[in-house]
Amino acid sequence: MAAPMELSCWGGDWGLPSLHPESLTVMAYAKFSGAPLTVNTINNSWSTPKADVPVLISEDTVISQPAKILNFLRKQRYNADYELSAKQGADTLAYIALLEEKLLPALLHTFWVEAENYCSVTKPWFASRIPFPLSLYLPGKMSREALNRILLTRGGPPLYSLTEVEAQIYRDAKECLNLLSKRLGTSQFFFGNTPTTLDAFVFGFLAPVYKVCFPRVQLQEHLKQLTNLCRFCDDILTCYFKLTITDG
Amino acid sequence: MSLSLTPRSTRSRQQVPALELHSAEPWPENAALYQQLKEDQILLSDNAASLAVQAFLQMCNLPVRVVCRANAEYMSPSGKVPFIHVGNQVVSELGPIVQFVKAKGHSLSDGLDEVQKAEMKAYMELVNNMLLTAELYLQWCDDVTVEEITHPRYGSPYPWPLNRILSYQKQWEIRRKMKAIGWAGKSLEQVLEDVDQCCQALSQRLGTQPYFFNKQPTELDALVFGHLFTILTTQLITDELSEKVKNYGNLTAFCRRIEQQYFEGHDKDGSAAASARSAKRSLLR
Repeated sequence: MAAPMELSCWGGDWGLPSLHPESLTVMAYAKFSGAPLTVNTINNSWSTPKADVPVLISEDTVISQPAKILNFLRKQRYNADYELSAKQGADTLAYIALLEEKLLPALLHTFWVEAENYCSVTKPWFASRIPFPLSLYLPGKMSREALNRILLTRGGPPLYSLTEVEAQIYRDAKECLNLLSKRLGTSQFFFGNTPTTLDAFVFGFLAPVYKVCFPRVQLQEHLKQLTNLCRFCDDILTCYFKLTITDG
Repeated sequence: MSLSLTPRSTRSRQQVPALELHSAEPWPENAALYQQLKEDQILLSDNAASLAVQAFLQMCNLPVRVVCRANAEYMSPSGKVPFIHVGNQVVSELGPIVQFVKAKGHSLSDGLDEVQKAEMKAYMELVNNMLLTAELYLQWCDDVTVEEITHPRYGSPYPWPLNRILSYQKQWEIRRKMKAIGWAGKSLEQVLEDVDQCCQALSQRLGTQPYFFNKQPTELDALVFGHLFTILTTQLITDELSEKVKNYGNLTAFCRRIEQQYFEGHDKDGSAAASARSAKRSLLR
């Protein structure tokens, strides 16, 4: 029997099991592959880890970062990609790269950099789940890291001001959403009728954009026009996360 | 300054997007591609980028001559090489160059359907995300390579102490970026693992086809060629990086095929074949 596995991650709201894209990716993959994970959402106690979330703990092994956690789960024979061909496996890597390069900056911006969103939604939500006095410091640190990442990866010349960078990253994110929508087409999941790693990553990135109610929502509005992606998120939520929806 | 629909002649150059103004002009004979000095200065990642653009333009049948300048990086509008100087326009990096060339009516990916275009873009991001980042890591974050290859090459056109200052400045900038995207904590073995994973994905996608989208090359083929050929033909401290690529026979055959079809037989000074056979590089076996 496999050792019991515990996942520490950020909790959820607005009908989602988690607000954090990486945590959501791991949770979705665990559901798809049937891995028995005990999910511990981060709360106000000091015992749960705060940095490098999500974290998988199994006996003595501690693994952070979604890609490594998924590799570990695959080695434990919880493999959602069993039926994929070599080419489909390669496509998975490519689309994940597309998500990270084109969609992630805008996602980080919507959550952590856009002032209205950050002050009215993100900061209070995360601060309420972090014990005092860390709650005064950690959300700010996460926000600074998000801005840093956006500026270092996308903010070189000829884009000189933050507004130009913002405009560019949202353009890229909308194009990425369009590409994903075209790739999904009318299928239920990206590779046929069973969900795989790619579905987990896409769900992890899209669901927070789709469900969280922010004051500034240009990305969400664009996503809502792509009905097949919305249907994709809703299907996964109803089929694989029905228990946590009722717990809300 | 607003973009109103006034006749072209009355609009100033700043108001009109550059692509619209010059799309009607044909590709001139004197188009030039600028990169750093081939023999002494250019680094792995920049050479890969430059080769990718050269391959793309060759595939589109657009003549361009390669000009080597020590300050190419500073002349570029985005700070990255290569950049092309076509007529009155200066465009840098493969993405914008592909758009620019498309506005002039040449495109390699017009024949692809929407799903294939999405796939092509995804694979291009994979190459940028994994291969290019791994090259940058190796050049700027691996101490041995930095000391023995990167610092001497990067600052070679400049006198002391400018050469050291510029190299350290660039190194600091790249290391900041690596830290922001989470690569600073990776070891060299992990980076080489990532390169292997990326090559495996490319090899599986290519399969036995001549190009990634079967019969016709696209910008993805140009980009992959630029990176893989440079990795295969550049001598570093160890051969670990090129060994990772050599593990996949169809990728080396792919590079050989593109080299033969688009670069051999062109006796220009700036051809990729000539640069590959320069003293510092080992031959493609």
